[in-house]
Amino acid sequence: MTEQHGTLRHTMDKASDVMGGMMGRAKAKTAGATSTAAFIENATIGNRYEIEAAQIALKRSRSEGVRAAAQKMIVDHTAMTHQMHSALRMNETAGAPLPPENLDTRRAKLIEHLETAPDDAFDKTYLDQQVLAHKETHDLLSGFAQSGDNPQLRSLAAASDPVVLRHLAVMERLRAGDGG
Amino acid sequence: MAFNPLSEKGIPLDRQLRSWSELAVEPYRTEDVHPYTRCRVILMNGIEVEAIMNSHNAARRTADSGIKQALAMVRRVEQQQQKAVNWLIPGSESSIANTIGYEQVAVDLTSWIARHEPDPYLKQVYEFGVLEDYDHLYRYANLMDLMGERRKAEAITGDLTEILPGRPTIFQHRDPHDELRRPMTVEAASVQSILNALTVLSAEQQTMNFYMTVGNRPEHPLARALYQEIAMIEEQHVTHYESILDPMTPEMLNWVLHEYNECWLYWSACETETDPRIRGIWELHLAMELEHLRVACDGLKAVHGLDAADFFPKGGIDNPMTFEPNKEYVRDVLDRTVDWTSWDSEFVPINDLPQGHRFFDYQHQVNEGSVPSEDVIAAHRSEFSQEYRFATEGDHPIIALRDSGTGENTEYAKAEQQARREFAE
Repeated sequence: MTEQHGTLRHTMDKASDVMGGMMGRAKAKTAGATSTAAFIENATIGNRYEIEAAQIALKRSRSEGVRAAAQKMIVDHTAMTHQMHSALRMNETAGAPLPPENLDTRRAKLIEHLETAPDDAFDKTYLDQQVLAHKETHDLLSGFAQSGDNPQLRSLAAASDPVVLRHLAVMERLRAGDGG
Repeated sequence: MAFNPLSEKGIPLDRQLRSWSELAVEPYRTEDVHPYTRCRVILMNGIEVEAIMNSHNAARRTADSGIKQALAMVRRVEQQQQKAVNWLIPGSESSIANTIGYEQVAVDLTSWIARHEPDPYLKQVYEFGVLEDYDHLYRYANLMDLMGERRKAEAITGDLTEILPGRPTIFQHRDPHDELRRPMTVEAASVQSILNALTVLSAEQQTMNFYMTVGNRPEHPLARALYQEIAMIEEQHVTHYESILDPMTPEMLNWVLHEYNECWLYWSACETETDPRIRGIWELHLAMELEHLRVACDGLKAVHGLDAADFFPKGGIDNPMTFEPNKEYVRDVLDRTVDWTSWDSEFVPINDLPQGHRFFDYQHQVNEGSVPSEDVIAAHRSEFSQEYRFATEGDHPIIALRDSGTGENTEYAKAEQQARREFAE
């Protein structure tokens, strides 16, 4: 890949991440905010994306702040994944669908863009994605906590939302360049 | 036979206060009290302590002076009930003998609750906890011999509860994040699940309080150290059980749930008590609690506009909580899950933890040097040429714990050795 093609591709990837993020937020605000099935799917994929993205950041970022934030994402989104597994084993969620085992196409693309981002643009790519992804997750959680159709998952969403808002604040500070 | 506390009439609140002479109950005789009568006394003391502390906490969070007055009045009576119950324990029963009673409560209460828990996740929460208390009973029983107590632990527990290694205490020490479970919701959980959680939480909290207070009373250094170590596990257990309760429960509903739970448990004690004199105390307290429940229901209506009858089963509660042997059940739980640990809200075999998991770091920090729960078994072997055990149902179901109650042959020990090797590399 020539430098010019690499830059072009990275620009296209960034545009695609932004479009995908906007679509994700729209989806999170609609079906994900009320339907149990959509909530389980979106929340599970969101957690998986966060963990995979953070693992890449730990390998590729040279910034201590970004690496520390990535480590925190792994710990917290693993805890959220476990909370979802526990919730889905309770009678309160009887009949709910199983969570998906893989990323959807949109989140798989985000991971691919992280893997292929040039070294000198990695942190910016990761942080741009993180800000969008956490806004989407906040929309999902706050929406479902307010008007979701299952009490147990509403409780889970309400418990996770403040954590995600703190993540968002950290990622925005890192992106603004003040070290998080 | 079902029991519906909402349709029963109690003693009016202004007739519930007792004089000092009425509160000066005759203690039971430690030599011949039925083990499960002692268990009921220990449990109901813990239930009253929780009722009192919950009421104090509610009072600190409310500005409504009418509600504060109602809480204060009911709490004063709960305090008298706690005195009447806890003063049934005689001064002649040593702290270590009483400790054996506390751990018998933990084993047979938690087992009964696990067997009657309708929710599969919450059932696993109780099964996870019971194996740890089962191990505490065995470690304290060995300590009891070393302290020169005139009786063996089985003289306290009777032949109702086996005394064998459970999940070894040394491997129960986990990072605080790994004690936090998924809460149920008052909106969707069964009432029995809520009562179960309040009951076990109250018992474990009182066990924590008890060890925090009496753990420094022995002179024997090993005794002091063992109480310290197990008191820290009780902190874990309180965290574990309180985290399954719904944190969004409205304050007055929380009060109603506490009072309803007290009614269920005093009714259970009345139904199962074999000592007629002590049954009289349970009956009196049940009649008092029915009125406390009515007052709390009034508070729920006044503050939140909610009717308590909407939350509880129309026919009441079917089963009395019953202290009874759980030997085969505990053996089955041991067989299925002895080598499990927790990771966030989930329970996993120790070998499923990933490399570098915080469990190993925490273990390394607290178990550096000697570990009292292991030392007590080694000391018993050294002084009496064998461990103290009390088994009525045959060999220990776990081969690694059949001949040795120290943890060297367990899956945990192997996982820790592997973690140390990986760390060294």
